[in-house]
Amino acid sequence: MSATSSAAHWASLLPWLVAIWLFAIGLYGIVTSRNFVHLIGCLSVVQASTYVLLLAAGYRFGGVAPIYYTHKPGTPAVDPVLQALVLTDVVVGATVSALLLALVLQLHKRRGELDPEKLRPMQQ
Amino acid sequence: MSPRPRPERRIAFAIRLRLALFALAGLCALGGALHVAGRMPAFGAHPLPYGDEINRRGVPERHVTNMVSAVNFDYRGFDTLGEEFMLLCAVTGVTVLLRGTRGEARSAQPGRVEGRPILPRSEATVLLSRVLAPLILMFGLYVALHAMTTPGGGFQGGVIAATGTLLFFAGDGYRGWRRLIRSGAMDACEGSGASLYALCGFASMALGLPFLENVLPLGTPGDLFSGGLMLVENAGVALAVGGGFVVLFIEFLEETRVEPPEEAPGDAPGHATGDAPDGARS
Repeated sequence: MSATSSAAHWASLLPWLVAIWLFAIGLYGIVTSRNFVHLIGCLSVVQASTYVLLLAAGYRFGGVAPIYYTHKPGTPAVDPVLQALVLTDVVVGATVSALLLALVLQLHKRRGELDPEKLRPMQQ
Repeated sequence: MSPRPRPERRIAFAIRLRLALFALAGLCALGGALHVAGRMPAFGAHPLPYGDEINRRGVPERHVTNMVSAVNFDYRGFDTLGEEFMLLCAVTGVTVLLRGTRGEARSAQPGRVEGRPILPRSEATVLLSRVLAPLILMFGLYVALHAMTTPGGGFQGGVIAATGTLLFFAGDGYRGWRRLIRSGAMDACEGSGASLYALCGFASMALGLPFLENVLPLGTPGDLFSGGLMLVENAGVALAVGGGFVVLFIEFLEETRVEPPEEAPGDAPGHATGDAPDGARS
């Protein structure tokens, strides 16, 4: 195992490690969160790990974007299926964040509290 | 009222306990994750069978040059319909949650904001936002229209156009913004966009073809109006996303309005008179 191939192996691991790291710090934020708005931000970080994962899986060295407007059809390109999936992912993430923030607004209006630790279930 | 707040000491303990559990679970999951990461195919140098197949077939079969749009609106069009309705459901949920308790009455009379201090804006802000907003709207339209040829599409263009309308809020304030952007029209955009997409599918079925089968002439690849039915679906998506996001902005901005004096919490008397020159605008 030469030094260069080992370096290439680690470079090849990097996208997956970034995805794992984003997922883990997002989850860490959710676990320790003391504010629901912060918690929704952490959820977005967790979701960002899926973007990294999908785009990394569809990447190809030297590939162009899968748009054949200027490139001739047949030019090696990255995977359009995964890019379409990421597009779906982004839309879902944005709308889910909006829905959660609306819930948080209602919570703040009714209880005047945004700390998950200070809220007990079904408390009047 | 609330029975008794949890003491801070017990909260700190609960969080530490949860962190310990998280660390334990994380350690267990990390081993598996690293194992999988180590056995993934080499980054950037592995076969992409589905992507290559789409890249090979897309231009000759569907006459569009943007393969992501070809996937979204044709090869995987039915999924996008589901995504469209998920967006509709989320926007409806936000509207029900926020407008439900606020009531329709106030949004029926935009511009009558009692007790809300109007902050003076610098003329540069007003000018810049009035100049930029139409440009951003046009850029959104451009991105949405060029879905089949160059990077872009209804989702991206719709979001760009919707955020462009927020500049009217920045420049002309709440009243000007609400005078320009009608809540009802945006609701109609959102709903009609989603139904336009669904109707495209039923149009194919009415002709005896499978759901969402491309029935319109495909045009020449690289042309703005290539792609046949995909263009109509894309227009539906642009309407639904643009309308949906503006509805979200309206609902959230409505929440920032100061309550009328009789409902206002008593700690802000300045708001009740409405003539505070530079009162806090939460």
